[in-house]
Amino acid sequence: MDIFNSAEDIMENALVSSLSYLTPAGTVSTHPMLPLYSRERKKLYMTSSILFSKKIEHIKKNPKVGVLFSGRQFIKTQNYSVLHLKGDAKIYEENLHSGWEWLVELWRKKEPYIDGFIRQRLALPLFWERVIIEITPRELYLWKDGDSSKEPLRWRA
Amino acid sequence: MTAELELEKFTDVVVSYVDDDGYPMSYSTTARKQNGKLVLEKPTYLKPKKQMTVLLNHITPLPTGGYTDRRYLMMKGEAEILQDRVVFTPRKSYGWDEKTKPFFQYCEENVPQAKSYLRKLSESVGREVKARLPTLQLLFRATRFPFLSATAAPVLIGVGSATYLGYFDFLLFILTIVGASLIHLGLNTANDYFDSKLGADEKNIQPTPFSGGSRIIQYGLLTSRQVATMSALFYAVALVIGLYLAFTRGLIPILTLMALGVFISYAYTAPPFKLAYRGVGEIAVGVGFGPVIVLGSHFVQTQQFTAEAVLASIPIGIFIALILFINEIPDSPYDAAAGKRTLVTRLNKAQVLNIYKILLGIAYALIVASVLLQLASPTALIALITIPRAVKAVKLVDQTYGNPYLMIPALASNIQVATFTGFLHAAGFFAWAVIQLFAR
Repeated sequence: MDIFNSAEDIMENALVSSLSYLTPAGTVSTHPMLPLYSRERKKLYMTSSILFSKKIEHIKKNPKVGVLFSGRQFIKTQNYSVLHLKGDAKIYEENLHSGWEWLVELWRKKEPYIDGFIRQRLALPLFWERVIIEITPRELYLWKDGDSSKEPLRWRA
Repeated sequence: MTAELELEKFTDVVVSYVDDDGYPMSYSTTARKQNGKLVLEKPTYLKPKKQMTVLLNHITPLPTGGYTDRRYLMMKGEAEILQDRVVFTPRKSYGWDEKTKPFFQYCEENVPQAKSYLRKLSESVGREVKARLPTLQLLFRATRFPFLSATAAPVLIGVGSATYLGYFDFLLFILTIVGASLIHLGLNTANDYFDSKLGADEKNIQPTPFSGGSRIIQYGLLTSRQVATMSALFYAVALVIGLYLAFTRGLIPILTLMALGVFISYAYTAPPFKLAYRGVGEIAVGVGFGPVIVLGSHFVQTQQFTAEAVLASIPIGIFIALILFINEIPDSPYDAAAGKRTLVTRLNKAQVLNIYKILLGIAYALIVASVLLQLASPTALIALITIPRAVKAVKLVDQTYGNPYLMIPALASNIQVATFTGFLHAAGFFAWAVIQLFAR
């Protein structure tokens, strides 16, 4: 079984994921985030509004992150597997206004109505000032069929 | 903390902890409540740490793609690690449920976070990083452009009542509507400037699209100085148009009405008058958007004040005052905190609703009376078709009173009643003039 290929399939088709990062206090914070995977770049992207930017400040201090893809109803693949990714995050905040717009093509596949929201940018101007989180996978854990009673299959970069 | 937790509301349970390599590790599991704690299943081969985080998450995927019904709860705490499960004691939690907190409100509450982020980013890159909007969108938002319908309606009524009497000059009509609109834009921007300076907009953490100001200063999209300059510019151009109309159509009457209009729009929030802060802002706005604009527009066309125009000016003045009156409801706690003692802050719900109903009744009755007194055309009665909509607006305001976000449809409905009725009232006058033209 090609673990990376299966992981790519999950990342491309998951509606939501759980992003974990470390706070300066040493605790883990976990938030639901929309995962946007680029097969071309082999990287996982997320975008966060500056309204909810605390995570960005923490990730800038410690780029080690984890992303879990779980929940059968959230993952639109033929066969269900649970995936955990450990990776290194890089923050792009040079152009908050439009630097994230290239991700809309990936975003549209997950939320087809997103263009309608973007057209109403005027209503929520700060929500559309956005930071990009780019995650390079370092280690993958794949629970085939979502069965966590068995040890996961592993892949390392 | 777990006693009130409704686990069944969430479809995914995620446990996270710091793994030996320093990266966060997560797994999906099931949870149940036991003695005020959470019991979470654990694969035996995983070795979670005592300090852990539990995320409860839910979305409802839509058949058309995407999802709705978002809610999540993140809990941080300590766990007792057993062979096949952990017993978790949450210490603090953070979350969001869009059913109990609308997304608009959730965003608004996080504005301080966005401003803090931009401040830190500016410091780290050594230049000011600001939120932006495309220029046209920025102007649209800063001026609260859609509210110009509140100016267009009385201008059309003033010109319509003149047309009914046989007077109509298109160029004068254009100059009147542009001049009046500029004063309104000056009013909106001056209102933002002074409400921001006096603290009313800063204190309001639950603005809606119809109340709480444009938020353009609060979001850092424009500075107070830029907004003040914009306001002065609108007033200056309006003044030039007004002076032209005064010198060509009637110096004293037009200058008097114009001075009154500018005074009301400026004194509405500006010190030392601060009419809105003294509980007379609603009356001032009613006078400004009713008699002042209607009589001014009428005079520019006819060079006289007529009983037709006077009577036509009162209903629209009431309707526009009611836009303000009802829009004050969601703002009232913050207005009161900032010392802005609007009429709504001085009354209870029953009193506000009674005044609302009575004034709506008077406005519609005056339209009927003007026709009965032959001071308006029978076609002006077309304005009455908004009565069912007005009844619905009253019900909506009653049902959602005090909840800023639930009130949004009620506020929209009230604005629609005012502007539609105004436009229909004007259309009634114009329609009669057209009928007379064809009848000759």
